[in-house]
Amino acid sequence: MNKQDFRKYLQEHIMILDGATGTQLQKRGMPQGVCPERWVLDHPDVIVEVQKAYVEAGANTLYTCTFGGNRIKLDEFGFGDKVVEMNKKLAQLSREAAGPDGFVAGDLAPTGQFIKPLGELSFEQAVEIYKEQVQGLLEGGVDFFVIETMMDIQEARAALLAVKETCDLPVCVSMTFNEDGRTLTGTDPATAVITLQSLGADAIGCNCSTGPEKMLVFIAEMRTYAKVPLIAKPNAGLPKLVDGQTVFDMDAEAFGTYIEAFIEAGVAAIGGCCGTSPAYIEQIRKNAEGLKPAVPQNKPFSAVTSARQTLCVGRNHPVAVVGERINPTGKKAFQAELREGRTEQVLDFALDQQDQGAVILDVNVGMPGIDEKETMVKVVELLSGSVHMPLCLDSSSVDVLEAALRIYPGRALINSISAEKAKLETLLPVAAKYGAMFILLPLSDKGVPETADERIELIRTVYHEARRYGYDKEDIVVDGLVMTVSSDQKAARETLKVIDWCAHTFECNTIIGLSNISFGLPQRSWVNTAFLAMAIGSGLTMAIANPSGEMLMNVKRACDVLTAKDDNSTRYINYFAQDKKKVLDSPREQKIKTPADQVYDAVVKGDKESIRRLIDSALEENTTPGNLVNRYLIPAITHVGNLYEQKTYFLPQLIQSAETMKRAFVHLEPLLETEGSEQQQAKTRIVLATVKGDIHDIGKNIVGLMLKNYGFEVVDLGKDVSAETIVQKAKEINADIIGLSALMTTTMLEMKEVVALAKKEKSGSKIMIGGAVVSEQYAEEIGADGYSEDAHGAVKLAKKLVE
Amino acid sequence: MREYKKITYFENIPVVPNQDKIYMRLGYRNHVTVLTEEHQRMLARGIQKGVSLCRLKGAIGRFDIIARHSDFVRLEDGYVLKSKSLSKLLLQSDEVILLASTAGKEVVERIFAEIDSGDATLGVIMDAVASQAADEALGWMIKYIAAMIKREDKKITKHRYSPGYGDLLLENQAHIFEKLGLQKLDLKLTEKYMLVPEKSVIAIAGIERVKTNE
Repeated sequence: MNKQDFRKYLQEHIMILDGATGTQLQKRGMPQGVCPERWVLDHPDVIVEVQKAYVEAGANTLYTCTFGGNRIKLDEFGFGDKVVEMNKKLAQLSREAAGPDGFVAGDLAPTGQFIKPLGELSFEQAVEIYKEQVQGLLEGGVDFFVIETMMDIQEARAALLAVKETCDLPVCVSMTFNEDGRTLTGTDPATAVITLQSLGADAIGCNCSTGPEKMLVFIAEMRTYAKVPLIAKPNAGLPKLVDGQTVFDMDAEAFGTYIEAFIEAGVAAIGGCCGTSPAYIEQIRKNAEGLKPAVPQNKPFSAVTSARQTLCVGRNHPVAVVGERINPTGKKAFQAELREGRTEQVLDFALDQQDQGAVILDVNVGMPGIDEKETMVKVVELLSGSVHMPLCLDSSSVDVLEAALRIYPGRALINSISAEKAKLETLLPVAAKYGAMFILLPLSDKGVPETADERIELIRTVYHEARRYGYDKEDIVVDGLVMTVSSDQKAARETLKVIDWCAHTFECNTIIGLSNISFGLPQRSWVNTAFLAMAIGSGLTMAIANPSGEMLMNVKRACDVLTAKDDNSTRYINYFAQDKKKVLDSPREQKIKTPADQVYDAVVKGDKESIRRLIDSALEENTTPGNLVNRYLIPAITHVGNLYEQKTYFLPQLIQSAETMKRAFVHLEPLLETEGSEQQQAKTRIVLATVKGDIHDIGKNIVGLMLKNYGFEVVDLGKDVSAETIVQKAKEINADIIGLSALMTTTMLEMKEVVALAKKEKSGSKIMIGGAVVSEQYAEEIGADGYSEDAHGAVKLAKKLVE
Repeated sequence: MREYKKITYFENIPVVPNQDKIYMRLGYRNHVTVLTEEHQRMLARGIQKGVSLCRLKGAIGRFDIIARHSDFVRLEDGYVLKSKSLSKLLLQSDEVILLASTAGKEVVERIFAEIDSGDATLGVIMDAVASQAADEALGWMIKYIAAMIKREDKKITKHRYSPGYGDLLLENQAHIFEKLGLQKLDLKLTEKYMLVPEKSVIAIAGIERVKTNE
């Protein structure tokens, strides 16, 4: 069966697939824990009997019993060297059961390992593993392939490429979605369908995990974007635990009532998964009788995807900003990082741009002195695993782009393909193989045409070539080619003409690399922003820009409203919506604020940045340093403590206020010394330590910070500190208190040693303890003087211990 | 029967820690704690920074239970996990899954660097992010194994258990560390059985056989 026959069949017929196989084999004696593929080969009559029962029930397509037939799974049972041989025989058995009129689908399923960056398996290893299985199934005479129960889009891509690179047979992909509508690795149905059909799947759908009702929802999401037929293999309802047995809650007749809905929703191939049997398939046959597959909606759309997100672009969508910052040009620190093989800044650039409103990330790592291909793959792997936005792969090298496209787990945007001969001949087929959208750059081997008319001619040329590879207008984004107005003032006008023509005559998406327009001019952001607004007015759909420019991004948001691309202005309103949460109840808020009051407020609000300035203002207004401490800072931190006790404040707020206080003290300390304030009088001394063997000290550090801010003198000995060191230090400085921290059951015992040694050495220090595993009771048990569960409590306890 | 069972390693677990749970770890109380816009921005920045620094890795392996008692279970290699509560959890299980996750050393180093350099607020926020991320990475691996064993008509116990809690001694981390080969995830174990970097967790869950209506 070739691809054309397959599509024709699914346009005219409902393909009835089989149901669950594993449980049927177990019913006929297959024990738990064996290799199903081996057992079936040892008992060939059993699989033929099971599959014939499905054919008799109405199935016209059987999946080969090769769910675990890949090298990794067979390896678990020691049969990894028999992949081709076993798959071939298993396919032959299904062929025997299907009979002359039935179809046999070669079944590929998860390897159980994950592909990088998620797991250890390289993408190429995964492709090779599937190719080996494909070879065996081909030799066994399958009619087409089905890649099923896929939890990870990247593994589905590897299997799909394995089939495509081995033969021309049709190939279907069936993902498994959890109740939340996403695969285990976070892919939603729409993203799956866009990614997989652009990569060449002939039918796409879902199986397992849910019953028919929920699966219909996933199918509906897929249908919006599906250009290929859909397939569905739901479970027999949901599993329920009844008397210690898992029972699927839907009987065959009830299952059958959903079939018409599936077909209306665009499903052309339907069968059953967990909990189903020939009785369920018989219901499919009965309920599908006389029905014809629905025609795919085939609405044109432009979309790029990541593994977890789809981004639609076009005239009815907000202008999409492609973040340009992952590019070493002009960034010395980033260049140095890439040269050293490091990628720390990449993620910072990505997350910052996401925060600022970019919806796609342009990734360009081209610079001298590095292996661009290796770096690009590394960066794409990093971003694919860390951010949800789709990527725009930007390189002038075909090799680099192909390497990135191969491992990118979504549908990428390529930047860019021009009318240059080499690009058309080598990059266009690569882009088509991986189903990527691309930016069409209207320049040729002769250079950049000056006029819009010349550029339009080149757009037509490239599009004509792209059509040969199956591209439609919605798959391309034309770059208006922004040139610098400081060298040619007509440049902006020509670009706008191209955008206008693309938007209103040719009807395709457009993009501009915005910042070129203002090169060489002062105050470039004005020019950039004005030009963006003009381009949007001409019909622009995307812009490559630095989204950190607030004015630029806000003008874009406003333009989306004015061009009716922001439905009900929702995005605009949400972005600018004022926070309506309660204002903090500060006792000093009602009166007119003096500078000293503002010092108080700064501590309450944790305003570290302003505290020094506010203190200086208060001092200029003749508030003495001592007064500032006693009447403003201490009451402020006490108020914060109260807010924390009431849970109005939580830990970060408490600490931020404490740090503000600390900064205030450091600023005031020299003045207090001069003034001889009471703050300089004898302080309570505390030795703090995380006990020997314990390496956790964040909690102890926070306690130290709080204690210091309440005027205690703290000597922090750090972590993993022996009892001897702690007691010795306490004696040396005549400490009033020893504070001990331990987080684990194995190290809390060390506290007892410290208590015992302190008593033996007559240190005279009170001992207080804290940490996740200790308690008031434990403190009593080891003879400590007190226990506190948090930093604020530790301050109160310390005060109490020295009263 | 299976001749051996491999350990599966995950190099980049796709989990974005739940913000509400991070807030809860920091002591946030719904309808009680009040945040200004500045506090919200500060938290958002801290969470974003923490998320960007977490490198979630994990390992998971399946092992048969060959003997059981109300006080212990014995694994296929003869190792005995002594704990009444764990034994109770594994009452219906034929196998255990041992799993570990880590948020990586980068985030831990940054937490301490921020605290040392005077931004303890950012430090504690990132600390909560890393703890939550490591915990959710365990949850993700449980989901993964649950999906993989469904076709074997098996399921995972509802709860999981970690050494150091209840009556399951922390010392058990040494055997699990070795069994899972956690040095592959750049983890170390101190002589007091603590995992380094510290935002790392080990857990145990059971695999139960279920009978279906087929």
